[in-house]
Amino acid sequence: MEDYKFLFKVVLIGNSGVGKTCLVRRFTQGVFPKGQGATIGVDFMIKTLEVENSAGQREAVKLQIWDTAGQERFRSITQSYYRSAHALILVYDLSCQPTFDALNDWIREIQEYANPKVLKILVGNKTDRDDREIPVRVGEEFAKAHDMYFLETSSKQGENVEKLFYEIAAELIEQARQKGGLSRNHHNSSVTNLGMKNNISSFQSNCCSGGVGTNNNSSN
Amino acid sequence: MLSCCAKLSCCQAGCFKPRYKRLVDNIFPANPEEGLVKSNMEKLTFYSLSSPEKLDRIGEYLYQKATHDINRRRYKLVEIAMEAMDLLLMACHAQTLNLFVESFLKMIQKLLEDANPSLQIMATNSFVKFANIEEDAPSYHRRYDFFISKFSSMCHGSNDNVEIRNNIRMAGIKGLQGVIRKTVSDDLVENIWERQHMEKIVPSLLFNMQSGNAREEEVNEEDNEPKTPPVLAESVLRELVSRASFSHINDVLKPLLTHLDHHQLWIPHEFAIHTFQIVMLSIQPQYSYRVVETLMSHLDTTASAKTKTYIAVVLSAIISIAAGESVGPSALDIINNLLTLLRDSVRRDSGSSKNPTIGQYQENLINALGQFANHHPDYQKIEIMMFIMNKVPTFSKKDEVDQVLQIILLKSLLKVSVQYRTVSFEKAFPASFLQPLLKMAKVTESKVRIIVMEILQALIDRHKNQQTLSVVTIKKYHSLSLEPPSRSDIIFANKQVGNLMNALINSMLLDDQVITLESAYTTAALMISEMGCIETLQEFMVFIFHLQNKALSLEDLTVRHKCNLHRIAISLATFISRCLGIFTDYCEQLIDKRRQNAPFLLPPLTEDSSPTLHSMNLEIPDELLLDRPFIVSVLQKSGIRSERLQMESLFPSDRRPSLIDGISTRDGNLSDTYPDIDSIKSSPDVSRKALNLQELNMLELNFEGMKRILTAPLESVKLEEVNKEKREQMAKSLKEQDFDELMKFNESSHDHIQNKLNELFNSLAMDRPYLNNDNTLNPKNQKPIYEKNFPELFFF
Ligand SMILES: Nc1nc2c(ncn2[C@@H]2O[C@H](COP(=O)(O)OP(=O)(O)OP(=O)(O)O)[C@@H](O)[C@H]2O)c(=O)[nH]1
Ligand SMILES: [Mg+2]
Repeated sequence: MEDYKFLFKVVLIGNSGVGKTCLVRRFTQGVFPKGQGATIGVDFMIKTLEVENSAGQREAVKLQIWDTAGQERFRSITQSYYRSAHALILVYDLSCQPTFDALNDWIREIQEYANPKVLKILVGNKTDRDDREIPVRVGEEFAKAHDMYFLETSSKQGENVEKLFYEIAAELIEQARQKGGLSRNHHNSSVTNLGMKNNISSFQSNCCSGGVGTNNNSSN
Repeated sequence: MLSCCAKLSCCQAGCFKPRYKRLVDNIFPANPEEGLVKSNMEKLTFYSLSSPEKLDRIGEYLYQKATHDINRRRYKLVEIAMEAMDLLLMACHAQTLNLFVESFLKMIQKLLEDANPSLQIMATNSFVKFANIEEDAPSYHRRYDFFISKFSSMCHGSNDNVEIRNNIRMAGIKGLQGVIRKTVSDDLVENIWERQHMEKIVPSLLFNMQSGNAREEEVNEEDNEPKTPPVLAESVLRELVSRASFSHINDVLKPLLTHLDHHQLWIPHEFAIHTFQIVMLSIQPQYSYRVVETLMSHLDTTASAKTKTYIAVVLSAIISIAAGESVGPSALDIINNLLTLLRDSVRRDSGSSKNPTIGQYQENLINALGQFANHHPDYQKIEIMMFIMNKVPTFSKKDEVDQVLQIILLKSLLKVSVQYRTVSFEKAFPASFLQPLLKMAKVTESKVRIIVMEILQALIDRHKNQQTLSVVTIKKYHSLSLEPPSRSDIIFANKQVGNLMNALINSMLLDDQVITLESAYTTAALMISEMGCIETLQEFMVFIFHLQNKALSLEDLTVRHKCNLHRIAISLATFISRCLGIFTDYCEQLIDKRRQNAPFLLPPLTEDSSPTLHSMNLEIPDELLLDRPFIVSVLQKSGIRSERLQMESLFPSDRRPSLIDGISTRDGNLSDTYPDIDSIKSSPDVSRKALNLQELNMLELNFEGMKRILTAPLESVKLEEVNKEKREQMAKSLKEQDFDELMKFNESSHDHIQNKLNELFNSLAMDRPYLNNDNTLNPKNQKPIYEKNFPELFFF
C-alpha cells in the first residue's frame, strides 16, 4: 500500500562547496560524509517523514530531494529541476563571503526558472566553523528582503538539519491544505503529482488488504 | 479430501485470501535465492489471461509486496516481483494492459527511488521493456516527469566504482530512450518536447557524449548494441533529433547550445562539430537549414569574440550538409544571414584596434559561406554571387566601415567564384554582375582591386592556368592548357574584352606595386588563353598598344611604373603571339633588341627603384617599342580584322580614373600615339584637348555598326560645338564639385544608361530623354551625342 499521503519535491541550490550534499546526506542517512566530491549534474534522494498536522494528527510525507550541482557548467540542467519544485533550499556557506555574494545571481535564476509560488528557504550552512564571515543578521535580512525563510545549519554537527526539512514539510502541507481543501484529494492535485496522476485508486483498494502492506514506514 | 486441503492452505495464508493473491504468493520461493517459481508463474499468467479484469489487482498486490520487501531490504524478493511483473506485461494483451501498467510504473518508480544501484538498473530494464510495447490506447493522464528527472540524474551517475557508474549511466540513457519512444509519436501523451524535459534530456545525453570518445569505441562494436555511455548517448541523440518535427527543432537545439556554452565545448571545437554533424545528419533533411539558422543566431548572441570564432568554424563544418537541401529562397536566406553577421562584425569592431580574433572570426564566416555555396549547383552559385555583389557597398572614401566591408564581401565573393566551374562566359558574367564588379576594379584601395582580379581570374580560368600565368615573363609557359574558344566565347570576348581590359589598365595605372600589376597581368593573360583567337586578336592588341601608350604618355607615372607597364605589354604581346602562332618572329626580334639596348624594358617586374632606373630619362626609341603599323600589316596580310587597331585613338576612355566616363566627352587622345606632344595628366583631367574632326571621324568609324542601326545623320560640325559647350560645363563641374559627389552622380547614371542602352540595342529605337545628365544638348543632337558618349563597348 501507499506509505505516504503527500509527496513534495525539494530542490537544493547554491554555489559549489557550500554543503548541499552534506545537508541531504545528514538528513537522509544521518551521516556527515567524509571526502564528499562535488555533485555531478543532479542527485536524487527520497525520505519519508511523519509530520504532525495542525489538527494534531501525524501524517506521512514523502520528500523527493533533488540535490543539484553548484558548478557553473551544470547550470543548464539544474535549472530545469527548479521548475517543478515545491520548495527551493538556497544554501550559502557562512564562512565564505563569495558564496553569500553569489546569492543575488541565484535569486535571479529562481525568478527566471522557478514557479513564482515556490517555497524558498535561505540556509547559512557550517555554523560549526569558527571563521564565520556572514553574521546571522545579514543572512536574515537578505532572506527577509527576498521573501524567504531563514535558517542556519551545520551538516557536520547536524544542527538544524532535521528542523529544516521538517519545517519545509509542515509548511508545504499547510499550503497544500489551504489550496487543495481536504488532504484526501491531494493526490490528484498538481502539488503532489507523483509521476502518475491517478494513484488515488490504490488508496481506496487498500482497505480490504490491511494485513499485508505495511504503512507509514519512515523508520531508517 | 481436496476441500479439506484447500481449506487448510487457505487458513494458513490467512483466511479468505482471494485466489489471485494466493497465486501471486506462490510465485515466491521459500528460499529467495532459488528465484521465481516458474510453474506457479505460468499459473499466474494463465489466470491473468483468463481473468484480465483481475490484472490491476494483481499488479497492485505485487507492488505492495515489493514495497514491503524493499523496506526490509529483501532485494532478491523485489527482483522476483519485478520479474513477475515483466512477464505479465509481456503476456497481457494490449487491450488489458492499461489496467496493469499503473502498478507496473509505480513499482518501477519505487525501485528507482531506492538508493540501491542494482534496483535502479533493474527498474530501468523493466521500463525499457515497457517502453517497447505498443499500447493500443495510450493513457493520456500518465506522466513521465519523475522518470525523466530520475533518468537524467542517473545519466550523471558519479559512483566511485567505474563499473557501477557506467551501468547507472547506461541505465539512465536507456531510460530516457524509453521515455522518448513512449511519448514522441503522440503529442497527447506527455509532450516530450516541452522545455522542462528537453532541458534535462539533451544535456544528459551530451554530458555522456563528451565524457568519452564515441568514435573510437564504435570501432570495436560488433553487434549493434552500444556498449558504453558515450556511444549509447550518441545514438539516442540521433534518434531524438530524427524524430523532431519542424516546430520541435528549436526545443532540442536550444538546450544543446546552452550546454555547449556552459561546458565550454566550443573551444576546442571538435566536440561541437561532432555534435552538430550528428544533428545535421539525423534531422529530417528538409529542416537542416533551420539548424544552420539557429547556429547563426546563436553566433549573433554570443559575446566572446574568441567563442564566436570557434562557432563560426563549426558553422562552416556543417553548413554544406544543409546546402544540399536548401534551395532558392532559403539558400539566399542563409547567405543573407551570413552577410549580416559579417556586416555586424565589421560595424561593431571597426572602431576598436585590429583584433586578430575578429579577423579570424570573419575569415571563418567567409569560409562558411564558401562551404555553403560550394554545395549548390553552379546556376545557384551565380545567383549567390549576384546576391553578394548587390550587398557590396559602393565605394566611398569617407566610410571606413564600408571599405572594410567591401573587402570582406569581395572575399566572400571570391570564395564562391573559385568554386564555380565556368562553362560559358556569358553565364558566368551576367551584365548585372560584371558591371559592378568592374567598377570595383577602379577603386584606389589596391586590396580591393586585387580581390576583384582574383574573382575575375577564378571565373575566367577554365583550364587551370592561373598558377602558371601568375608570373610576368617573356619565356615560354610550360604546362599550359589551351583549347580554342567556342563561338559563344568569341561573341562574349568581342562584347566584353574592351570593358575588362579597360578595368585592367585602370588598375595597373592606379599604383605600381608589383602585386597589383601582376594580378592584372594574370587576368589579362588568362583572358588571352581562354578567348584568344583570330577573331579576337585585335581586341587584345588594342589593349596592349593602349597599355604601351599609357606607359609612354602619362608623365606623372614613375619611371619604374612605366618600365613595368612596358614589361607587361611585351610579355602579353609575346604570349598572344605564341598562343596564336602569329608575328612570333617579330616579338623575338623585339625582345632581342631590348635585351641589348634596354633590358629594363623586359620582365621581371621590379619594385626596387634602382638609382640608374630612376635617374634615367625614359626616352625609348621607336624601334624598341611594339610597332603598331607593323602589327596591323601582319594582320592585314593574314586577313585578320584590324580596323580598330588602325584607328588613331585606340581607347577613347583613357582617363584615369575613368570614373566620370558617363558624362564626359570621349575625347580619344591623339596624343596617345604621339607622346612627345601633349601628354595627359593622370588625375581626373579638366584640361583636356579639344575634340577635333578627326576624332569624330574615328568615332564614326568606331560605331559603324551601331550607326547603321541608328540611321540619323551625324551632324559633326554642330556636334563639335555642342561638345565644346559640354566640355566646358564638365570642366566647371569638375572644378566645383566634390569628387565623391561627382562619382556618385556618375555611377548611378552608369547603371541607368547601361540599362537604357540594352533596351536601345534590343529595340533599335531611340530613347530621347534618357540623357538626363546632359541638359545642354538640344533635342536635335541627342542621338549622335548619345551614340558618341555611350557606346556599349567603351562603357567602362
Ligand atoms: N565544517 C563544515 N564543513 C562542511 C559542512 N557541510 C559541508 N562541509 C564541507 O564542505 C565541503 C563541500 O560540501 P558538499 O556537500 O560537497 O558541497 P555541495 O554544496 O554539495 O557542492 P557541489 O556538489 O559542488 O554543489 C565538503 O568538504 C564538506 O566536508 C558543515 O556544516 N561544516
Ligand atoms: Mg553536492
